[in-house]
Amino acid sequence: MATKEDLESFVTQVTCPEDFDDFWDGVLGELAGMDLNPAITADPLRSNDDVNVYQATYRSLGGLEIFGWYSVPAEGDGPFPAILHLPGYKSEPALRRDWGRKGVVVLSVAVRGKLPSSSQFNPGYPGLLTSGVESRDTYSYKGVASDCSRAVDFLLSRPEVDPERIYACGVSQGGGLTLVTTGLRPEIKGGVSGYPFLCCFPESMKMLRSYPYDELSCYSREYPDRAGRMLETLRYFDAVNFAPRIKCPMVVGVALEDEVCPPETSYAAYRLLGGEKELWLFPGSGHGNAHDYPAQETAWLEGQIGVGHAQVTA
Amino acid sequence: MTAPRSDAEAFWEQAEAFWEQMEAELAELSPNVTLEADAFYSQPEWDVYRMRYSGAGGHRLHAWLSVPKGDGPFPALVRMPDYASVHDIIYTSLRHRAVVMNATHRGQRNSDASVRSSYPGLLTEGIESAGSYHVLGAFADALRAIDALRAQEQVAVGAVALTGTGLGGSLALAAAARRSGIVGVAADTPMPLGHPAALQPGLGYPLAELGDYLRMYPGRRVQVEEVLSVLRPLEVARSVTAPVLLSVGRFDRSVCPLAFGEDLASSLPNSDLRVYDGAAEGGGHEHAEVRTAWLGERLGAL
Repeated sequence: MATKEDLESFVTQVTCPEDFDDFWDGVLGELAGMDLNPAITADPLRSNDDVNVYQATYRSLGGLEIFGWYSVPAEGDGPFPAILHLPGYKSEPALRRDWGRKGVVVLSVAVRGKLPSSSQFNPGYPGLLTSGVESRDTYSYKGVASDCSRAVDFLLSRPEVDPERIYACGVSQGGGLTLVTTGLRPEIKGGVSGYPFLCCFPESMKMLRSYPYDELSCYSREYPDRAGRMLETLRYFDAVNFAPRIKCPMVVGVALEDEVCPPETSYAAYRLLGGEKELWLFPGSGHGNAHDYPAQETAWLEGQIGVGHAQVTA
Repeated sequence: MTAPRSDAEAFWEQAEAFWEQMEAELAELSPNVTLEADAFYSQPEWDVYRMRYSGAGGHRLHAWLSVPKGDGPFPALVRMPDYASVHDIIYTSLRHRAVVMNATHRGQRNSDASVRSSYPGLLTEGIESAGSYHVLGAFADALRAIDALRAQEQVAVGAVALTGTGLGGSLALAAAARRSGIVGVAADTPMPLGHPAALQPGLGYPLAELGDYLRMYPGRRVQVEEVLSVLRPLEVARSVTAPVLLSVGRFDRSVCPLAFGEDLASSLPNSDLRVYDGAAEGGGHEHAEVRTAWLGERLGAL
């Protein structure tokens, strides 16, 4: 089990490319020039007394249509605060109806490669993490990060969403994408990143032999002449390089026995956060299964948003 | 004079007929197994294969197969698929000494040429009748995974154990009941499909799918109960002769409610129930270590 001292003594070798900001400004600029084409379709089967559920779609990089579950409180007209829920690597986008009763909109995104957004781009699992990794311009995660950024645009396009109260959360890859997206989009006012993936790629692929990081090791072994280029590409997608850009409140949750995302690497991202920050350590827990994490995430977001049991009274 | 049959008796007869027909179809169909070496995902200590085989209904199914380097026969662990569109190459320390097969069911990635599962949606797809219910196909595919592992001739396989989480736990138990020679089953938070616990109100996803369906179609409740009764998990449990390590979370309200886990444990002839103070994650990391050691012992692969 990792200790707090292990986390604090870990120093990542990941450095930020000099043109990191230019690269991402270019991506966001390209996205801004594309039609979003936001649309929602009511899903009465999934709706209930608390929440109206919709199937949402919007356009992202390369013209791909991205899918999400969009849950809107049944009571009231808004504007409602909103949570952007970002997906894990393998797991399905969660349909989060629990926030409806609290008056909060939730968009849960299926980034490219993930059902049902996979019709035009489908490298598979495993496969997504190395798809196009030869270049920052062809790498799958350029599209994935774009899909998350466009999800913020989707929320901003909705009249029932309060544009000043957008938050983000997710676990595992969703935790990494919470950091990436919040680093890209200052419209996000706070977030919770659980067991974040996408942190310290060079070290993570050496520290563990579990997937998905092991996909990178497989790539290096199969194409040793391309390993350097792969690592160069990954610098543009490493969540530790997004962390300093995050100026809003952010929580990072770390399981000290995490066997998928090394706790040292999650802590490295936490340490570099540029705003108010909070660290949750879970001794005795592995990846994604700290029993107290879901309740803590809910309580923290309630407090930030000002709803539910932890509502802040002025 | 013959007493009128109860609904339960009628359901039982229909369930028996369904499985007899399913087994007959599987028996007549060659698994037609192919193994394709995958150099990219192979490691110095084990080889990885993409395994393909034929299931009932003409579905071509996929599994990841990890085989230790060296001469067999090797004990084998079949990991049944969970409720998810993807079943990847899982890392387990048992891969060093045991064949590990990660099976998929129809509709999951790589087994989705003719049908694609949706999430949520899997638990109610085609639930209008036993013949169309997608989940019953997943159970048939779980049986087929064991048939295919034993039918392939490239890797010598010895003792077979099963494991799975959520839906995978249910698939593992059902397969152990219908296939002989299973030396152990580690089932984590199995779904109560076919048990009243699956239809109680107020559950979270994935079981909430069934509640959604009954809210939308309240007049179909008996029909749904009839279709799910084909799975009758407690009766299935009584015929599992292999030792079973069963784990549940005390506060689980979305995958395996505690009451079902306890009913299941009392129905299994040889079970070791571990109740953790978790929710859908069950025992989490703590139980993962218990499970690995338990399976390693059953397989002689520690």
